[in-house]
Amino acid sequence: MSETLDLREQAIRKWGSDNRAIRKGKWIGKPARRLEDPRYLTGAARYVADLELPRMLHAVYVRSPHPHARIVSIDKSVLPGLGKTVFAFTGEDLRDVPPLIDHVALDNLLRTPQPVIAIGKVRFVGDAVAIVLAADRYAAEDAAELLSSVVEYEELPPVPNVAASGASDAALLFEELGTNEIYREAITHGEVDEAFAKADRVFSTPFEHNRYMAAPMETRGVLADYDRADQQLTVWSSTQMPHFLRSVIAGQLGLPENKVRVIAPEVGGGFGMKMCTVPEEIAIPFIATQLGRPVKWIEDRHEHLIAATHSKQQSINLEVAVTNDGKILGVRGEFVGDGGGYSFNTESALIEPALAAKALPGPYRIENYREEVGAFLTNKSPVAAYRGVGWTAANTARELLFDEAARGLGIDPAEFRRRNMLRSDELPYLSCTGQVYDSGSYLESLDKALEAVDYQAFRQRQEELRQQGRYIGLGISSYVEQTAWGSESSAQAGTPLPSHDNATVTVDPSGKVTVAVSVSSHGQGHETSLAQIAADGLGVDIKDVVLLHGDTSNTPYGLGTYASRSAVIGGATVARAAADVREQILQVAGKMLEASPEDLVIEDGKVSVAGTPSRFKTLADVAYAAHWDSEVRNSEPLLSATRFYDPPANYANGCVVALCEVDADTGVVTLDRIVAVEDCGMVINPMIVEAQVHGAIVQGLGGAMLEHLIYSDEGQPLTTTYMDYLVPTFSDVPPIEVISIETPSPFTVGGIKGMGEGGQIAAPAALANAVADALAPFGARIEKLPITPDYVLRLMGKIG
Amino acid sequence: MAMSSKQIVELNVNGIPHQLLVEPRKTLADVLRDDLGLTGTKLGCEHGVCGACTVLVDGRAIRACLMFAVQAQGPEITTVEGLASDGELDHIQKAFAENHGLQCGYCTPGMLMTAHAFLAENPEPTREQICEGMNGNLCRCTGYQNIIKSTAAAAKAAK
Ligand code: FES
Ligand code: FES
Repeated sequence: MSETLDLREQAIRKWGSDNRAIRKGKWIGKPARRLEDPRYLTGAARYVADLELPRMLHAVYVRSPHPHARIVSIDKSVLPGLGKTVFAFTGEDLRDVPPLIDHVALDNLLRTPQPVIAIGKVRFVGDAVAIVLAADRYAAEDAAELLSSVVEYEELPPVPNVAASGASDAALLFEELGTNEIYREAITHGEVDEAFAKADRVFSTPFEHNRYMAAPMETRGVLADYDRADQQLTVWSSTQMPHFLRSVIAGQLGLPENKVRVIAPEVGGGFGMKMCTVPEEIAIPFIATQLGRPVKWIEDRHEHLIAATHSKQQSINLEVAVTNDGKILGVRGEFVGDGGGYSFNTESALIEPALAAKALPGPYRIENYREEVGAFLTNKSPVAAYRGVGWTAANTARELLFDEAARGLGIDPAEFRRRNMLRSDELPYLSCTGQVYDSGSYLESLDKALEAVDYQAFRQRQEELRQQGRYIGLGISSYVEQTAWGSESSAQAGTPLPSHDNATVTVDPSGKVTVAVSVSSHGQGHETSLAQIAADGLGVDIKDVVLLHGDTSNTPYGLGTYASRSAVIGGATVARAAADVREQILQVAGKMLEASPEDLVIEDGKVSVAGTPSRFKTLADVAYAAHWDSEVRNSEPLLSATRFYDPPANYANGCVVALCEVDADTGVVTLDRIVAVEDCGMVINPMIVEAQVHGAIVQGLGGAMLEHLIYSDEGQPLTTTYMDYLVPTFSDVPPIEVISIETPSPFTVGGIKGMGEGGQIAAPAALANAVADALAPFGARIEKLPITPDYVLRLMGKIG
Repeated sequence: MAMSSKQIVELNVNGIPHQLLVEPRKTLADVLRDDLGLTGTKLGCEHGVCGACTVLVDGRAIRACLMFAVQAQGPEITTVEGLASDGELDHIQKAFAENHGLQCGYCTPGMLMTAHAFLAENPEPTREQICEGMNGNLCRCTGYQNIIKSTAAAAKAAK
């Protein structure tokens, strides 16, 4: 207990307990309708593909048809009109642009510099070989097809998977490294060997996590325009991190950062995929500077499925040492990432296995743990972020193993979890991997979810139906979700990255509010949720707040939106800036109303003397005077403040329970119902939170039941259209009920925690456990995803 | 890579007749977006699976990425831009706004057009019928829950 108190005190001393800055009024906590919706509903919203500039060229990529090959020659002279109506650039033409390299601060991680167009060698089907440009997309496609037909390659032996990659005679993706294994490290926490020696039983499972991807409905796209006279580059990109991208583009192209403007216009979904800087985001702007004409590249879906970053794939070997009464004594885990052709920039090929290893303990009391992390290069599209990075795999492997252990011990799976789960009064808690769980409701979430599905009644019905030859199953998946991704959170995840974010709140002379934030929205509804915070901070209606985001020229610097950081960071920066502006307003109003600022309140756009509502000025009057009336205005009259926030880490939590029935003849799994309990601290807008849970769960469902990026043994991608790569449709999705618990974070401004990934972290295990539970009479063990009908039949021993 | 020569195409879009010079190989979606500037119609796959490009052709939901503009001469074409009148959202658009039926908005135009055609045929749909009827439209953000709710609410509102 003394250790937990220490943790709380340390955190508060370090971060301050700045809850004063959040003022809760009429808006925070309300399911306010979204202010941004009308433009989406009328077709007025403009995504990158919808933008057009005079003299714009359309770019189409020539991409490698080979998984592993040397580029022998590219004869551009075959293109009619080359240099006049058609333009082409190869890797050699972009030699001056430095390659992209990850910036993970680990000495023993080997680096794989990725040229923005391949030079000399291609490393996966879809690797960029050339860019062809013409005034119209159809003409550019024609020219790209022609150029593609004349590229000469010398094929090299493909390295299609980790087993091939690690073979002693494997072809090397980067000869200069002398190996395809770019990382291997083991860390022991606590007394692992003793724990296993003492154990009554040891359960283990191999688990192959499938390769799948974010596949947002809007593919990637970049438009770049270079004004040679002003030497000003403007880049519109479907990105989650406009300011960061500006820094990277400026660095890569050697331009002063104040001459680069990045705009994320409407972004049609990101889910983490659009946080990394992709080579196309450097190559297209570079070509625009060379040609002095606007250049637009819009990825098509085929290109997206083979050349945009993939995710999730890793192999996990997990062992748990337990006592006969179900107490976990220790865990051993090996996490090996299949990183693809390049260890991708930003977070490297460790993004999956290292994050999985650190997050493995989850909501459980695990004190003895050995984690071993490895990463290999393979001739496949690189692996990068997708909602629930690493955590999805860790949660799935762990929750599957715990059910396995519970079955082996003859203990109910819910009871097994309860015996090992951290209680709320044990928090804050320092996990063995260095994560400081701030607060939460681990057991409460589990109980609430089980209560919602009437667990005992389900078990009875399951028994009855089994007698009739029908197989229903229930799967439980408990999770913690690391959120508030700032310096502290990334350090606790084992991949330290500095963090920087700001918001500016300004009240104009008419009394209306403009909020400019460094976080960036791509469907999360920030224009509403952050307006709710500003509205409460200033005592106005949300309709009087305009939120600016996504454009580096009118928003303060910051890292954008990823890893469930924006509610915490965006919320705190807006709340703090609004509090400052409120003080400025009250100073002026105090002079106008001849009252002390402390005695004033702002409500519904009026500043009045507390207790005497008839003594008031409208906010419009005060704002006008604050700008123009030299008698009352402040010494710095502008009603504006910019505030910074780099949050302490915090952890959301919850529990997903899924119910299914398996058809024993066909292997088809019917999902009946999903219940999700979500605890993300103080909720800003419950309608948005609920919908985030829906979306994340269905993405997890896709990964668990349908989605699989398959490569042949020769390294050819086989899932290259939406006919082969199956994302969930309406009829794949059962009703989802979301139950909310609010345990505020003791550390962050307002007690806000991030959210949005929990569903994707937890749903796959809930579904897999439900299927395994249904098939328990067959002794089925799920060792890979997705759970397709033929895999189910195999699990039942019906096919070989 | 034969360059096809352009020809005159007459399209009737949102009640307005247009005469355009386009290549015969150009899809209806591309002509709506590039030649008419009606970028509300979205492209999510360009191979007929995602439904983002759905428009109404004489009231029927059609994938504009699978149809050539030259094939669309004659009928009345409605795009998402043609739904609201005088800035007033129609009942389906309103139902989506009231039930949080969209997140990033990229699938939304296609969803709205499909919902129009679907509800015209099924004015009182069950949940199962909505899932079946809208199954050809993909959404990556919402998990469909609130789109189902919005569509059901729109059906109620129409009564
Ligand atoms: S773009 Fe037409 S169906 Fe996907
Ligand atoms: S709202 Fe984003 S794809 Fe449907």
